[in-house]
Amino acid sequence: MTRLLSLLWHKLGSINLTVALCLLLTVDLVLGYFCLNRHTSFFIPLNDMGLIPWMQTYGINNLLFTGWFFLLLMLLAGLAVNTFACTTSRVIQLLRARGPGGRQRLALKLAPHIMHYGLIVILAGYLCSYLCTEVLTSSTLAPGTHLSLPGTGGQVSLLAFEPEYYLGERLAFWKGEVITPNARLLLSDGVSPREAMLSVNQPVRFQGYSFHLINFAPKSPGGMKMKTRIDLHIRKDPGVGLYLAGMMLFTLGLIFYVYEWIVYREAHK
Amino acid sequence: MQSTTTRRLLGGLITLMALITLWGCNRETKPETDKATGEQRPAFLQIGAFSINRISPTRTEVRDGAGRTLILIPRAAPMPTDCNPNQVVRVPVQRVVAYGDFDIATLRALGVLETLVGVTRSEERWYIPEIKRGMESGKIVYLGDASSIDFERLKQQQPELVLTWDPSIIPLLDQLHIPTVITTTPQAMCLNARMRFVQFLAPFYHKEKEADAFFARIDAALRDIRARTAGVAHQPKVMWGDVYEKRVMVEPGNAWVGELVGLAQSDYQFEDVFGTSCIEITVERFLYSGQDADIFFTYRTGAMGATSKAALAKLNPLIKNIGPLQRGRVYAPLPHYTQSADKLDEILTEISAILHPEVYPGYRLRYFVELPDIDPVAAKETSHDRI
Repeated sequence: MTRLLSLLWHKLGSINLTVALCLLLTVDLVLGYFCLNRHTSFFIPLNDMGLIPWMQTYGINNLLFTGWFFLLLMLLAGLAVNTFACTTSRVIQLLRARGPGGRQRLALKLAPHIMHYGLIVILAGYLCSYLCTEVLTSSTLAPGTHLSLPGTGGQVSLLAFEPEYYLGERLAFWKGEVITPNARLLLSDGVSPREAMLSVNQPVRFQGYSFHLINFAPKSPGGMKMKTRIDLHIRKDPGVGLYLAGMMLFTLGLIFYVYEWIVYREAHK
Repeated sequence: MQSTTTRRLLGGLITLMALITLWGCNRETKPETDKATGEQRPAFLQIGAFSINRISPTRTEVRDGAGRTLILIPRAAPMPTDCNPNQVVRVPVQRVVAYGDFDIATLRALGVLETLVGVTRSEERWYIPEIKRGMESGKIVYLGDASSIDFERLKQQQPELVLTWDPSIIPLLDQLHIPTVITTTPQAMCLNARMRFVQFLAPFYHKEKEADAFFARIDAALRDIRARTAGVAHQPKVMWGDVYEKRVMVEPGNAWVGELVGLAQSDYQFEDVFGTSCIEITVERFLYSGQDADIFFTYRTGAMGATSKAALAKLNPLIKNIGPLQRGRVYAPLPHYTQSADKLDEILTEISAILHPEVYPGYRLRYFVELPDIDPVAAKETSHDRI
């Protein structure tokens, strides 16, 4: 039994399996490119409805175009297991062997493995995001209106929409159009209200939720008479912490690796 | 030994990929049986950016054009506790306010126009007899222009649902506890979505059967268009849009008109343009595409100045040299065109007849008008001058 488990562990951590998985991932992602490019509408809801409900609806009903994504999940799971088995085997070997240089040298030798563990944590973070994120879709705010955050006493109001317009001459097509849609929000938790500026790629965080600007009106002072409004996606994403932790782990491994390269390998050439 | 294992592993994974693909090809949506009528309906239906997900006989979740989820429950059912009450709609809806002509025409296609209680177009601008009558009797009221709705009046009408393209009214309607459905999408509706939109509104009224019949009618018209135009020798080049004072707007290639033109063996000049309906492009692109175009559909009606090619050229001197104005044909929509989406089969057929008059001998236009070279009055004056 132990021998069987050992063999299985060895096979799971095989570099041949890594190469095979990477090749299959490449083929699958090429397929995915064409499916995504031509059928984007199948995948947009994945951003807000979560992985399981998406699989049960859009995913399962359009398998011809979404099958690559299911396979991607399986391949990534395989890659994560393969990386874990391979890295852990190597780490155990390193810990057993130790070698010269003491703890500092050992830590530096672990650098690539720290990066591998970081990658697994990042993948787990994304999976967590797609499985557990709570999204309030397309919440709209007009000046003076507010919305309440479920499960908290928090309220968010739009104080003013203060866009920046393109005033240059070089891009005639953009002249007079909004290039930075700034929305001034009032965030009230019942105790100490504060103001925050929301913009595209500049989300606001409040009471565990993050606010993302997805649309706004008007886009220019002329044109159609559109009333002022901002559309938000409000997300409570427990995966963020995980993939930030994964990124930090990866960065730490990278720093160790570069340090070892400079101090030991280059110095001993 | 190791290479054999790897080969087996690779073989297994490739077989898995092939099986998933084959399964996807053969899979059909698991239908759900309606207890009241005994009809089978797909549990999940996607219509462009819209979707219908039948969770249980007493709960249907729909996704509107803005990606918002609304819960449809029977009128007598208790209010669900797991969602925002402003996103719960009791069905069948009995009182509705609608902004768009397309939404109203869809209600007409479903045979539920009697539920309409408010519109954003004044009485003289309606061509649908039921609405004119409803406005005369006071059952349907004009709520003001879409950009300046009278919310007091809207509240008095006690709608159970508002169909709109304008998300900015959602916060105010939330305060009034009236659910809102956004019926437009960030990207233009494709032909399939345009044909099936009726199936999106159907669960709000329990009119799935009527919606399916409507779709079958449009589908039959489309098959006829395909069959008639299959062997045509000439593929005309078509453009759809207009140049305004400061902006140039066209229908993108992903819009239903772009798809229809392609399907009717014609070339759409803005096929590579992707985005929202009535999308802005540069004047240079419009003029470039217009050089060798044969047919031009303008957004303008006669009342907006599209009375002749000369009148259009006078309005926009920039476009006077494009192909359709010089040597081709120009068509303007008749005023009732935008309110006639319940006759989508006739509209599709008419567009096809315009593109290929040779396969529709004796066809009489009902939704578009071909613009003469010069206005009849100007023509009269010219003939007088000659005399």
